[in-house]
Amino acid sequence: MATLAPPVSGPAMPAARQAASPRREAWQRRLPLTPALIFMIIVTQIPFVFTVIFSFQSWNLVRPHSQHWVGLENYANVFTDSAFRDALLTEIGMTALAVAISMVLGIGLAVLLDRRFPGRGVVRTLLIAPFLIMPTVAGLLWKTTMLDPVYGIVNYLLRLCGAAPVDFVNQHPMASIVTVLVWQWTPFMMLIVLAGLQSQSNEVLEAAKVDGAGAWTTFRAITVPHLRPYIELGVLLGAIYLVNTFDVIYMMTQGGPGTATTNLPYYLYQRAFLGFDVGQASALGVVTVAGTILVASVALRMLFTVFATTERRA
Amino acid sequence: MAEVRYAEASRAYPGTPPVVAVDSLELTVADGEFLVLVGPSGSGKTTALRMLAGLEEVTSGHITIGGRDVTHVPPRDRDIAMVFQSYALYPHMTVAQNMGFALKLRGMPKETIAERVTEAARLLDLEKYLDRKPKALSGGQRQRVAMGRAIVREPSVFLMDEPLSNLDAKLRVETRANIAALQSRLGTTTVYVTHDQVEAMTMGHRVAVLKDAVLQQCDTPRTLYERPTNVFVAGFIGSPAMNLYTVPVDEHGARLGDLVVPVRRDAAAGLATVTVGVRPEALCLVGADEDGFKLAVELVEELGADAYVHGRARLADEEQRVVVRVDPRDPPAIGQTVRIGVRDHGEVHLFHPDSGERLHS
Ligand SMILES: Nc1ncnc2c1ncn2[C@@H]1O[C@H](COP(=O)(O)OP(=O)(O)OP(=O)(O)O)[C@@H](O)[C@H]1O
Ligand SMILES: [Mg+2]
Repeated sequence: MATLAPPVSGPAMPAARQAASPRREAWQRRLPLTPALIFMIIVTQIPFVFTVIFSFQSWNLVRPHSQHWVGLENYANVFTDSAFRDALLTEIGMTALAVAISMVLGIGLAVLLDRRFPGRGVVRTLLIAPFLIMPTVAGLLWKTTMLDPVYGIVNYLLRLCGAAPVDFVNQHPMASIVTVLVWQWTPFMMLIVLAGLQSQSNEVLEAAKVDGAGAWTTFRAITVPHLRPYIELGVLLGAIYLVNTFDVIYMMTQGGPGTATTNLPYYLYQRAFLGFDVGQASALGVVTVAGTILVASVALRMLFTVFATTERRA
Repeated sequence: MAEVRYAEASRAYPGTPPVVAVDSLELTVADGEFLVLVGPSGSGKTTALRMLAGLEEVTSGHITIGGRDVTHVPPRDRDIAMVFQSYALYPHMTVAQNMGFALKLRGMPKETIAERVTEAARLLDLEKYLDRKPKALSGGQRQRVAMGRAIVREPSVFLMDEPLSNLDAKLRVETRANIAALQSRLGTTTVYVTHDQVEAMTMGHRVAVLKDAVLQQCDTPRTLYERPTNVFVAGFIGSPAMNLYTVPVDEHGARLGDLVVPVRRDAAAGLATVTVGVRPEALCLVGADEDGFKLAVELVEELGADAYVHGRARLADEEQRVVVRVDPRDPPAIGQTVRIGVRDHGEVHLFHPDSGERLHS
C-alpha cells in the first residue's frame, strides 16, 4: 500500500510545471522557425498581396499612365475567357497523363530494380539521372537531339526502319511534352515505389507463395495493397509539381502550335509578359492559386484519410 | 496425411568456403507424427524447415512428401502449410480473408471457404475477430490467426518455425499445450522448429537435435533424456543441464574426486580418462561415511517443488561447477560444505573423452 501512495501525487507536479509556462514553451519552439517564416512571407506572401491589388486594376504596360481601379472586371473576364478554359483543360489533361504514365512506368521499373542482379547499382543511378536534369535542359535536349525531324535520334531510328521522318514537336506537340515530363518524373515515382517494395516483409511474400499464389497473384493481391499509400503519395507530389510545368513548354513548343500546349502557367506568362496586361494576368493568377489550393487541400484531405485508415488496418 | 523424408538432403550457401547450413540430413517423419527440430542458434533448423517448404534450394540429396519426390517442386505444389515466426499475416486483409486466401486461390466456392474459416475460427477461439485486421489483434491472437491460416487448408504437412517465440512466458505454455492438442486432433504430420528444449520435450513425439548443420540424434523425448547419444545432446537436453566432467578412469571405475563410479571394463577399455555425465537429480546429499565428494555450496535455487544446489567441487584436480537437486524442505545453507553421492549408478552416463560419443555401459 505504501508503494502505491507516491504515484497519486506524482503526476500533479509535472502538470503544475507545464501550466506555468505554456507561452514560453510555445515561443521556444517558434523562435528558430521565425527567420524562415519571415523570408517566406517576403518572397511569397507580399508579392501575392501585390498581385491581388493589381488584379483590381486595369493596367497595361503598353499604355503608360493607364493604371486605374476597375473593381471585379478582370475577374469577370477570367470566367468568360475561352482561352482560359482551354488552358485549364490542357493543364488537367497534361498533368493527368504525365502523372499516370510515369507512375505506371515507375512501378514497372521499381519491380525490376527490386530484384538482385549484377550491376544493379549502376542501372539504378542511370535510371535516376533524368530526374536530376533541369527541366529547361531536358526540354531543349528532347526538342533537338531526340525529336528534331532532321538530325534527331528518334527520326534516325525511324529512317533505319524505313519510315518517313516525323516532326514530333509540331505534329504531336502534346505527346512530345508529355513524353518529356514522363521521362523526367518516372524516376521519382520509381524511387517512391521502390521504397515501398523494399519495406515489404519477405516472410509475407513467402507466406503467399506457400499459400499457392503465383508471381502475378502475389503482386496483385499482396504487393499492390501494400504499395497503395506509396502510390498515392507519388501521385500527389508529382501532380503538385507538374501543375506548374512551364520550362519544358517554353523550350519546346512555346505553348503552340496555336494553343495546343498552353497550360495555365504558360497562359499566365503570355498575358503578363507578352501582352503586358498586368491587371488581367493578376486576376488569372489569383484565380489559379485559389483553384490550386482548393484542389490540393481536397486531395490532401483525401490522402490523409486514406493514410489514417490504412494505418489502422495495416 | 503424409510421411516426410529428408534423404541426405543438404543446403550449402555459395561462398569460399561454402557455408553448409544443413549437412546431409537423413530423417524420416512418420505420417501423423509431431517432430520437433531443436538446436542452438545457427544450427540450421530454419534452413531445414525451409528446404521442406520449398523456400530454400536443396543443393544435394532429396526430400519426399508422401513418397513423392518434391526436391524441385515449388512450394505451392507441395501441399504444405507454414506458420512463420513473425506470423507473416497479410496486413491489408481481415482475419477471415487471411485464413481464406489459400482456399480462394484454389478457386473454392465462397460458401465452402466461409464454412471452413468459421470452423477453424471456432477451433481457435477467433470467431469474434474475423472482421478485424491483423494490426488490431494482440500477439497471441495473431499467432492463432497464423495457425488458422494453416489449418483451413487441411494440408498434408504443417511446418512451424518458432511460432511461440514472440509470446510471453505464460501464453507460451498455454499455446504450447493448445498446438499439441490441435495436432493430435487433426493428426497432421508436423515439423516444428524451436530452440527451446522444454518446448521440444513437451510437444514432440520425437525430437531431432541439430548442431552445426548436423543431426545429432532423433528420438523420443524420454530416450533423448535417458540415453543421449553424445555429450552435446546430453548437455543440451534437460534443465538444469547435466553435469559433465572428464575424469581419470581405472579398473575400479571413474573417479569424481573421492567418489568412484563403477565402469564396465569393456566400456572404457584402453582409455585413461572418460567423460562422465550425471543429471542433477541423479545426485544426492549423503552422510559423512558414505561414498561421495565434497561440495562448497554457492547458491540454492528454490523452485517450490524442487531445490537446486549450485556449488564448486574439486574433481580430477580442477574446480568444477556442480548442480544437485535436493529436497526443497531441507536445503543446505549457502557457504556450507556438503557431501554429494550418486543416487543410482545406472543413471551415470559415460562418453568418449575425445569424440564425445556415448560409451556402451
Ligand atoms: N543466406 C545465407 N548465406 C549464408 N549463410 C547463411 C544464409 N542463411 C543462413 N545462413 C547460415 O546457415 C546457418 C543456419 O541458419 P538457420 O537460420 O537455419 O539457423 P537456425 O538454427 O534457424 O538458428 P536460429 O535459432 O537462430 O533461428 C547459420 O550458420 C547461418 O549463418
Ligand atoms: Mg531460425
